[in-house]
Amino acid sequence: MTGNGTRETGRVHWIRLLGAFWRLNLAEELQYRANFIASVLGTLFNLATALLTLALFFHHTTTLGGWDYWEIVVLLGVFNALTGVVEAVLRPGIGQLAGEVRSGELDLVLVKPVDAQGFVSFRRLDIWRLTDVVLGLGLAGYALFRMGHTPSLAQLTAFGLSLAAAAIVVYAIWVVLMSLAFWFVSVENIAVLFDAVYEGARYPVSAYPGALRFLFVYLIPIAWTTTIPASALTGRLRPEIGLAAVLVAGLVFALARALWGAALRRYSGASG
Amino acid sequence: MIRRYAALIRNAWLVDLQYRASIVLWLLWGVTEPAIALGIWWAIAGDGSVAGYARADFARYFFAVMLINQLTIAWDSWYLDRWIREGDLNYRLARPLHPAHEAVAENIAFKARTAGVILVVWLLLAVAWPAVRLPFAPGRWAFTAVAVLLAAAMRFFISFTTGLLAFWTTRATAIMELHAGVSLFLAGRIAPLALLPPAVAGVAGALWFRSMLAFPVDLLTGAVHGTDAVLRGLGGQIVWLGFWILAYRIAWTRGIRRYGAVGG
Repeated sequence: MTGNGTRETGRVHWIRLLGAFWRLNLAEELQYRANFIASVLGTLFNLATALLTLALFFHHTTTLGGWDYWEIVVLLGVFNALTGVVEAVLRPGIGQLAGEVRSGELDLVLVKPVDAQGFVSFRRLDIWRLTDVVLGLGLAGYALFRMGHTPSLAQLTAFGLSLAAAAIVVYAIWVVLMSLAFWFVSVENIAVLFDAVYEGARYPVSAYPGALRFLFVYLIPIAWTTTIPASALTGRLRPEIGLAAVLVAGLVFALARALWGAALRRYSGASG
Repeated sequence: MIRRYAALIRNAWLVDLQYRASIVLWLLWGVTEPAIALGIWWAIAGDGSVAGYARADFARYFFAVMLINQLTIAWDSWYLDRWIREGDLNYRLARPLHPAHEAVAENIAFKARTAGVILVVWLLLAVAWPAVRLPFAPGRWAFTAVAVLLAAAMRFFISFTTGLLAFWTTRATAIMELHAGVSLFLAGRIAPLALLPPAVAGVAGALWFRSMLAFPVDLLTGAVHGTDAVLRGLGGQIVWLGFWILAYRIAWTRGIRRYGAVGG
C-alpha cells in the first residue's frame, strides 16, 4: 500500500486508506451472508425488548421526564442508530487493539505514516450492523408519524447537526476507553464498559434523578447523544441547547484526543 | 473431593486476580442495568407509589437485584461454546475430573469476589441512605441464602446446558442471549414481578424464571409473606433445578457421543 508515490508525500491520505480497508472488509463480510440475517434478527429482538420495557413503564405512568411514549420511541430510534454506528465501525477493532498493546504489536501501527488514533479506530468495519442505523432511523420516523408530527426543514437540519455532534461524542467516549487499554493492559473486554455506560442513553436525561442526571450531562456526557437529536426531531430543542451540543462535541473530542496522546506516550513497545 | 475443589477454587481465584481490571468492568456492567431501572422507577413513583412500591421499596428491590444477580449469574454457556468450537474441551475431557467441576469452582471464585464488593458498597451506602436499609431479620436471611444457592445452581445448569448446544449448532450463545432477553422481564430484572401484567407474571411463576432471581430478591426484601409462600417458592426452585439437571444429563451424554474434535 505504501508505494513510492505516497512515501514521497509522507502521509497517506486517510480517506483513501479507509476506503481501501473497508473494501477489503466488505469483500470478507460478503462471504458470510447468513450473518446478515442473524444480525437483523438480533437487532429486531433488541428493539422489541426495548419497546416492551417502555410499554411496562408506561403501563404505570403517562409521561417520563416530561416525554410521552412516542417521543421516547423517537429517542430509542436515535439510540439504536448510534449503537449501530458503534457496532459497525468502532467495536470490531477494539479487541485487536487490546491485544496489540499487550504484545507490543502496536509498534507496527505507530510506524505507519497515518494518524494512529484514526487508524486503530476505523480499520475494521462490520457492514451488517449498519442495518441497525437504518432500522433505528426507521423506528424514529414511524414514531414521528404516530405522533402526527412532521418535522420542519429547520428541525431536520438541527437533527442532522446534533446527530453528527452525537456521533462525535460517542466516538470521543470510545477513544477514552481505548486509551484506558494502555493502563489496564489485560482488558480484552473494555468495550463492555461502553455498554454499561451507554445503557443510560436509552431514556431522556430528564427522566433521571438529580445525581444520575448530573453524571450523564457533565461527567459521562451521554445525555448529549440521544436526548438532543430526539428533541430536535420532536421540536422541543431550544436553539441555545443545540449550540451547546456542538460545543460539547468539540470539547469532548479535544479532551479524548489529549488522553489518547498521553496514553501513547505511556506505551513503550516490546516489539511485535 | 473437597481437596480437589479447594485447589480448583484457589486456582480460579488466582487467575481472576491477574485480571482485576476485567473483573471491575464486568461488575460495572452488571450493576448499571438495575441502577438505570431504579432511576426510571424512582422518577415514576414520585412521592406516591406504583402497585404498592414506593421509592424506598424500589431502591431496596434493585439493590437486592444487583447483589443476587451477581451471586447467581453464570457465564458458562460462553465458555462451553468456545471449548467445543475450538477443541479446548479435549484436554478437559482427558482429566480425571468432569469439566463441570472446574466451571463450578470458577463460578464460586468469581462470585465471592464480585458479590463481596457489591455487599460492601451496599453496606456503606446504607449508612448514609436510609432507603436501602433492610430490616434486621436473620431468619429471612437464612432462607434467602438457601434460595440464592438454589437459584445459582439452576442458572449454572441452564447456562451449562445451553452451552452444550454448541455440539449441534454454532448459535448456542445466541440462544443464551434470547433467554437473557426474556428473563429481563420474567426474572424481574427490569421490574418487580408484581408490576408486570398478571398474565405475564403468571408465566414467570409457572416457568423457571421467577426461581432464577425474582423469588430470592423478594425473599430478601420481605415481599414474600408467610411460611407457606416461602416453602412454595423454595419447592418451585427445587423442581426446576431438577428439570435443568435432567436437561443437562441428556445434553451431555448425547453431545459427548457426537463430539469429535481435533487439537485444542
